[in-house]
Amino acid sequence: MLRLLVFELYKLFRLRSVQLGLLAAFLLPFLWALAPGLKEVYGLVLASGWQVVSLSLMAGMEFLFPFLVVMAASESLGSEVAQGTLKSLLLHPLSRTRLVLAKLLSALLYPFVLLGASFLGSLLAGLPHGLGGFYGDTGLGAGGFAGVGFLSAQEALGQLLSAHLLAGIVLLPLAALALFYATVFLSTTASALAAVATLLLMRLLVAFPALTPFLLTTYLDLHLRPNAAGLGLPLLLIYTLGFAFLAALVFERKDL
Amino acid sequence: MEALRLEGLGKRYGRKPILEKISLSVHPGEVYALAGPNGSGKTTLIRLVTGLAFPSEGRALLLGEDVHQNPQARRHLGAVVEAPAAFYPYLTGRENLRMRAYLAGVKEEGRITEVLARLRLLAVADQKVGSYSLGQRQRLGLAAAILHRPRVLVLDEPTSGLDLEGVELVHSLLQEMAREGVAVLLSTHHLEEVSQYAHKVGILGGGRLLDEVVLEGRKAYRLEAEPLEGALALLKTLPQVASARIQGQAILFEGEAEAALGALLREGYRVKAFHPQGFDLKLYYQERVKHA
Repeated sequence: MLRLLVFELYKLFRLRSVQLGLLAAFLLPFLWALAPGLKEVYGLVLASGWQVVSLSLMAGMEFLFPFLVVMAASESLGSEVAQGTLKSLLLHPLSRTRLVLAKLLSALLYPFVLLGASFLGSLLAGLPHGLGGFYGDTGLGAGGFAGVGFLSAQEALGQLLSAHLLAGIVLLPLAALALFYATVFLSTTASALAAVATLLLMRLLVAFPALTPFLLTTYLDLHLRPNAAGLGLPLLLIYTLGFAFLAALVFERKDL
Repeated sequence: MEALRLEGLGKRYGRKPILEKISLSVHPGEVYALAGPNGSGKTTLIRLVTGLAFPSEGRALLLGEDVHQNPQARRHLGAVVEAPAAFYPYLTGRENLRMRAYLAGVKEEGRITEVLARLRLLAVADQKVGSYSLGQRQRLGLAAAILHRPRVLVLDEPTSGLDLEGVELVHSLLQEMAREGVAVLLSTHHLEEVSQYAHKVGILGGGRLLDEVVLEGRKAYRLEAEPLEGALALLKTLPQVASARIQGQAILFEGEAEAALGALLREGYRVKAFHPQGFDLKLYYQERVKHA
């Protein structure tokens, strides 16, 4: 199983969308650091390199990172269908559930690698602004970017690591959802679109306040609201496991 | 025990039947060719046999194990289900085979070189598959299929995209595999080629197994007699004649020559010519499909 997982990871990181995504996650912080409209959009005048890191996370998590994760998970199965290698794999005494599980685990690792690339790029882009303590905040704590006083480098690093970790967990159910749709449609485009459409539809359900606490979309900004992690984290985990179970169930009897 | 056994295998999409009640068996060392016009269900049958698709009814057994109930049954199976066979284009031929060897539980590195040599691919073994020609990919597909020494080989159009040399290589490989006791099931449009060594031919049409022709030991004769229609009617009544039909100005029949000739002469028919003829599988197939 470990070798299968390593092979799935190798294949995942060979995907063009994944390579481009990692490059974008690494380079975009340099763009944010130079953006002239930060004050108008985020009310931010960069006082520290740590703020570049949080800015990159917030900007990426709005759309880009979820989209990249959905694309990667969809393509991990869709590309195998398109190039015909999925059939070759399944001609061996390999259980379909194991294959889906290996693909899922590699797709679940990708958000953390993506966020790692963004974190690394942000640190480099933030270097000219300094990575020491500063008066202000990362935008992730109380008081937004203005903060409530002096923030040490260790505190800033702790806040940002925790936010990136939470953001990674937020992206897990999206990867599982996309993989589930990939098993249904056996197509990269169809599954990515279906996953995005599902999230958009789920967002519309905010009109039903009783449902809101249980919706996946309610917790897509959990990295900004760590106090909601008590209910959010178990729910995100349940969604991930649920979509993974459905993916395995569908794929087990899927005609190829 | 049959190496491969299909019991009433059927597949329907919604209400539309694609395959209906296909039952056949292939014994170790036997080559079974599936023939049929496009859309007759050959590829669907291959997908069902290999476990890639699931039947609506019936079951497929590989050495007694249900391929759809137990994925481990595929340890006996070597297969190529696409033409050309699909591989990861960014890996070399050898790396692709190494990955397949891992999935099939083959641990000897030497076996990879052995099958590459058998399929005449050693020269390109360390090149990326993306640079392979269609024929080379098809041969690599066969190399992957025989890598783990399967006991059942299932191939969909194995000579598709190959040049003459490649076609001969594949045919000789299949004969060699059969001699070693491997059961071979292949779909083909090239009946003349496979009739040289296939033991049985299954003719598919409209999703059904129309006929199963045993080629081994089959003797056919060409007869010119007058009146032709009467001679045909007489031959059809003889228990020693398995089949008889008119082809042009002559009758082609299978069965015992002496009994047939004796009956014709006894009944006063004028026999103008009589000689053995190789069984014309292609003609038989065309007539069988036409009358289906």
